[in-house]
Amino acid sequence: MRIRLTFGLLALVASAACNTGLDVTNPNSPTEQAALSNLDGVIATELGMQDQFATSFNTYVRAPALVTDEWGTASKALAADISLFTGQGIDASYGVVSDPYYFTYRIARTADAVINAVPNISGITPGFAAGLTANAKLFKAMALGMAAQQYAQLPIDASVTGGTPVPRAQVFAEAIRLLESARSDLAPYSDADLSGFTSRAVSTGFDVRNTIDAMLARYYLFTGAYQQALDAAKRVDLTKVSLLTYPDPGINPIYNYGVVAGYVAPLKSWARGAESGDQRVGFWADTLAAPPVGTPPTLQLAQFKLYGTRNAPIPVYVPGEMRLIKAEAEAQLGDLPSAIADINAERAETGTAVTPGAQLPPLTAVQLNTKDKVLAQILQERRYELFAQGLRWEDLRRLGPVVGVQPRVDFLPMPQAECTTNPNVTGC
Amino acid sequence: MAVSRFSPRAAALALGMAIAGGGTPLLAQQAYTIHGRVVEANSLQPLPSATVLLVGTQLGAATDNQGQFTIRGTLAPGAHQLQVTHLGHARVVRDFTLGTSLNVDVGAIAMQTNPIQLNEVVVTGTGAPTERRKVGSTITSVPGEQINNAPAAQSVDKALQGKVIGAVISQNNGQPGGGVSIRLRGTGSILGGAEPLIVVDGVIVENNSEALVSLGANAGRGGAALTNSLSDIAPGDIDHVEVVKGAAAAALYGSRANNGVIQIFTKRGTTGKPSVAFHTEFLTGNAPKEYSLNASPTAGRGDVLYGGASALGVPVTRYNYQDQIFQQSNGAINQLSVSGGSAATKYYASGQWQTQTGIVRSTDMNNFNARSSLTQTLNDKLSFTVNGSYIQRKSDFVPEGEQTQGVITTLIFTPTTYNPAYNPTTGRYPYSPILGTNPLDVIANWKAQDNTNRFIGDFSTNWTPLSSLTVNYLFGFDRDNETFYYYQPPLSTGAAFTGSVQNPTRDVTRFNNDLTLTHEYDLSRALHLTSTLGGRQTSDHSNVLSANASGLSPGQTTVGSGGATPTSGQTITDIRTLGGFLQERLGWGERLFVTGGLNYEASSAFGSDQRWQLFPRLNASWSVDQEPFFAGSFLGHALSTLRLRAAYGETGGQPPSAYSIFDNYAVASRAGKPALIPGSVAGNPELKPERQREYEAGFDAALPDNRVALEFTWYHKHSTDLVLNTPLPLSSGYSFQLQNVGSLTNKGVEIGLTSLLLNRHSFQWNSRLAYSANDSRVDKLVTPNDTLIFGYFNAVAVGQPVGEFYGAYFPRDAQGNIVYNGRYDANCNVIAGTAGIIPSAARGATCKTTLKKFLGSPDPKWTLSWNNDFNIGSHTQVSFLLDGRFGNKVANFSRRISEYFGAGASNANEQCVVSGGTTYCQETLNADRHTTYEAFVEDGSFVKLRELALRYTLDPSIAGRVGAESATISLAGRNLHTWTNYTGIDPEINLFSANTVARGVEFGTSPIPRMFSLGLNLNF
Repeated sequence: MRIRLTFGLLALVASAACNTGLDVTNPNSPTEQAALSNLDGVIATELGMQDQFATSFNTYVRAPALVTDEWGTASKALAADISLFTGQGIDASYGVVSDPYYFTYRIARTADAVINAVPNISGITPGFAAGLTANAKLFKAMALGMAAQQYAQLPIDASVTGGTPVPRAQVFAEAIRLLESARSDLAPYSDADLSGFTSRAVSTGFDVRNTIDAMLARYYLFTGAYQQALDAAKRVDLTKVSLLTYPDPGINPIYNYGVVAGYVAPLKSWARGAESGDQRVGFWADTLAAPPVGTPPTLQLAQFKLYGTRNAPIPVYVPGEMRLIKAEAEAQLGDLPSAIADINAERAETGTAVTPGAQLPPLTAVQLNTKDKVLAQILQERRYELFAQGLRWEDLRRLGPVVGVQPRVDFLPMPQAECTTNPNVTGC
Repeated sequence: MAVSRFSPRAAALALGMAIAGGGTPLLAQQAYTIHGRVVEANSLQPLPSATVLLVGTQLGAATDNQGQFTIRGTLAPGAHQLQVTHLGHARVVRDFTLGTSLNVDVGAIAMQTNPIQLNEVVVTGTGAPTERRKVGSTITSVPGEQINNAPAAQSVDKALQGKVIGAVISQNNGQPGGGVSIRLRGTGSILGGAEPLIVVDGVIVENNSEALVSLGANAGRGGAALTNSLSDIAPGDIDHVEVVKGAAAAALYGSRANNGVIQIFTKRGTTGKPSVAFHTEFLTGNAPKEYSLNASPTAGRGDVLYGGASALGVPVTRYNYQDQIFQQSNGAINQLSVSGGSAATKYYASGQWQTQTGIVRSTDMNNFNARSSLTQTLNDKLSFTVNGSYIQRKSDFVPEGEQTQGVITTLIFTPTTYNPAYNPTTGRYPYSPILGTNPLDVIANWKAQDNTNRFIGDFSTNWTPLSSLTVNYLFGFDRDNETFYYYQPPLSTGAAFTGSVQNPTRDVTRFNNDLTLTHEYDLSRALHLTSTLGGRQTSDHSNVLSANASGLSPGQTTVGSGGATPTSGQTITDIRTLGGFLQERLGWGERLFVTGGLNYEASSAFGSDQRWQLFPRLNASWSVDQEPFFAGSFLGHALSTLRLRAAYGETGGQPPSAYSIFDNYAVASRAGKPALIPGSVAGNPELKPERQREYEAGFDAALPDNRVALEFTWYHKHSTDLVLNTPLPLSSGYSFQLQNVGSLTNKGVEIGLTSLLLNRHSFQWNSRLAYSANDSRVDKLVTPNDTLIFGYFNAVAVGQPVGEFYGAYFPRDAQGNIVYNGRYDANCNVIAGTAGIIPSAARGATCKTTLKKFLGSPDPKWTLSWNNDFNIGSHTQVSFLLDGRFGNKVANFSRRISEYFGAGASNANEQCVVSGGTTYCQETLNADRHTTYEAFVEDGSFVKLRELALRYTLDPSIAGRVGAESATISLAGRNLHTWTNYTGIDPEINLFSANTVARGVEFGTSPIPRMFSLGLNLNF
């Protein structure tokens, strides 16, 4: 201490009027502490969290689309993509294995940062605070829910020392808990109460309340809680859409991976499997366009249609999914007539610029006279309604046995990078 | 101040007297004036700038241009001694007596050239100016003449090549003003910088080597600059340069001295009438060799694939347009300086103008330097000095290296059936078939210009309140503004290219405040204590601003305000340091000196808990030849000089980023709204400096006639707490954190042998042989099995040298033949298959990409340089310098690319087979060979004829006709010849410039020109 004082004094004398402060701040970007200390910073972080989900959405789609029957790999694709497509040689060190895992906890960490910061922000309406918190819970739940469709085990929280992986059923349960909590956060407030939050902190085109219910419906269905799934799906306003948008300088990540990089494209076999006259094939894919350069003729690839342009939005859920969740829940609960009615409502949809519409004739109770036939039809509808939404893998796990179809791969392995750095991960 | 016998009371008394400002007046003192003249012993020419000290006092003077000196002081009559020192000459002690005459002429004092220069005063890292013999660590001094006379060097860094033992100085690139990388005793970091700290007259100057626009290696590779700050000082202004190579000597610079320190001392004024010096030099140069390209009269596979021929074997026209890429380089240097002064005021002022065209067309450099120095003595206790230098430099570059728009890049990427000539019908330069860009279009129409404006200045005062106490204060200031302008016209890289302008600028303001107090004290007649207490504060502020645009309208060559798509960016960095040091040097007569010191320093880049760091040092120097027993012993018969020395010191290194201690949120946007995203790099408030601990020991010895001198140094540098990216669990929400985890060791020896081989009346031959060997080993990384890859395949792995090449190797059978089409075991050994280097459709499993091995280090195992000076008669001097490196590997990626695309000379004779309807070749599009880096790692050992010079001093009568006192004409050459087995264009260049780890990769960058110069020096 004495030495420090002596030298410090000397240097002070030497430095005369110059600024000697050793505590510098980073002028280029705020530190975490600075960012979360005020409302503007928390709003920006909330938006950053939404951006993380929007820009990494491709990682939630890639493996489910490649290990099932949605996408194929062009010849210039990375070895990692090819391994998913063929189901051979999936290496735990590949980015395709670690990306969904990594981005999930990046998003979860950001969501936690917001959730922890909001109570300390002063001068903020209760509605604004509830909106910020609920939306953070929603995005954390979405990230966990998407990841749980790709890994058998994973932690439910981000932790600097590494989280403890739990079976994925528990992860779905945690997603549902977060969503229910978000829903009750928002319950006391009218849309007017939330308007400040919505206009300042929500990404344009995104609908928080309906997405919470839609996600509740999705994850209740995955966990077999059919009544809750049905109730939640019924609450979703099917006239609304909820979008991840990519205005410049942003870029749709699926367009970027599939079209710009040219690694992956829709399989023509997917298009051929559709019912004649199904308008959804042309909505999602362009089967007439030339496949990506260098694609071998033995592998027939189409091109992306909805994601065929740089700024194309991605729907977080489509109305048809809600109808099909209702139908599946009703079928599982034994109400086949209601299930058939919902299937037909979904088949009759005309769609919008950003959501698909099959425009197919209704099916009869004779055609769908058993529960298995109803479930098989739901699986077929979901294949075309929910193309490249990252849900196909889970759909095949749940409904594949009804039609005898299995994905090529059960789950992604635990990423190598997590195995070597997380002491709570064992057996990999 | 002499105290007859040591006792604490006497010491206290003496100290008290010293502080009271008096000595011990034994006799009545009188005001004497002592004058004399210092000359070179052989030529009897006057020696300016020699330091004359009255022994036992603080009185002294420097000689003027005529070698004259005058010392005035109040002194006791009786016997006295003058000590005369001068860089490069042996110290002289002259006895004289002060008597009744108050005006004493001691006459001419002749100084002999000293090969060891132990009395040379060194400053860098010593706290206060000190004779070399008192310092236990090695400090290399290079006198100004060696830099001024270095032929066609154009900048200090190049002039130092081959002249500093243990320094590997490489010119990375042959473009004019091309950067140089300097490694002192190996590479001591991994993520941090490896270039030494540069100090100019006490000013710690900016030495950022980040390129503003990547013209060689791609952006994001770091340290890839084409220029460096050492070239901002005109060589003609340099008095001498000091180099300290490791922690043992550099400990005074504490937390930023891990890579050693190079201090430049500029010329000062000398008393006497104004002396005017004019130097003019004409330079011309060319590329040392051309790329050898495919000259086959018939089409090969590359020609067919890329549209140059219709079928294999048909006659083709080939184009070797290297004469349209390379040109003769011409340049000129003109410098005018004036110096002079009175006893109280001394001044030096100079201006230099330098112009040079490069060996690649459309490249050039224009420099303008101005420098002035003023020293004013206010009274016998106080003086101050103001130095200022300004440089303006404009350089024109071309893209090259791994830039797909590169001029040489396109040459090696394109089959030689491509004709790049301008097509008057289309009004365009035809696109090249693989990269698109036409190299002649780049030369004719692109612009890549760097503009530097820089001021380096300092203000210092020297106050001697007591004869035993000196107080030095220095304020140093460095303001560096660099702007880059890079214009790529629309359509120039391809039909879809909309053009681009990049116009980044970097502004750096840097200052340091140094205060040093030095106190001299005699503990007894034999024991002398020098205490130094100092403080230093530094501040660096850097602001990088970029403005870019694409989508240019025809004729638009600026970022503009509309139409084009603009982008911009800014990064501001602040680093501040604060620290102090205490040093004690105990001298026992002239025999033994022991120095101990402690630095205590803090940097804003580290967390508050780790911020303050201690850096100790200890060294000892024992002049055995001063011992009473020496003269009578066998050692005394064998040697005239023997000094043993040993040193230990610790230094630190700054972190890769100024803000690594924080969890920084990244600035982003979500659908048009400003957003923040938590960083993927976790902040580490526990981050501390990388720490180097260096031991060194050695000796200096000379034979009795002083004609042969030997220096030997052994060193061991252990660098610990190396900052590395330590991966965090994916489930942390981070990817990694910078942590102090790594360590590595450099150890080696340095041997210098200086001799006066011949000393006849009219012929003298001075020779200096410098050998150094360095062995580097990585000791610890985050995990023992980590292999970190930098650049293409420079690796960092435990047990290996930093940057050793690590890549795929050929599958070979038991006889060592390459077997491409076979079956292999897990180690790439051939199980079945016949020797062959052409893959076929039917080839078996390959092992080419996954298995890698270490393929050699880009750093030399040892270096040897041999410098020779011949004095012939009284007018002629001839000198040459051979600079050699041995055991280093170079990755010849120029050859790799040219062979893959069919442009290489060897493609003319390659074998191809047709298998399954497809043609497979030995080289062209042979992806197996292309990814087997073993094929391209070559022995890069070389010896360069670095310097060759002939200097002729005209007879004074001839010089007098133009009014000059003396005139010298010189004819010289630099890098005239290279002896090497390396097959590429130049084994010295590196794509990655001054990058810490990525080294030794030759890939499409300009070779170092062979330069000739004709110069004239006039002194008025």
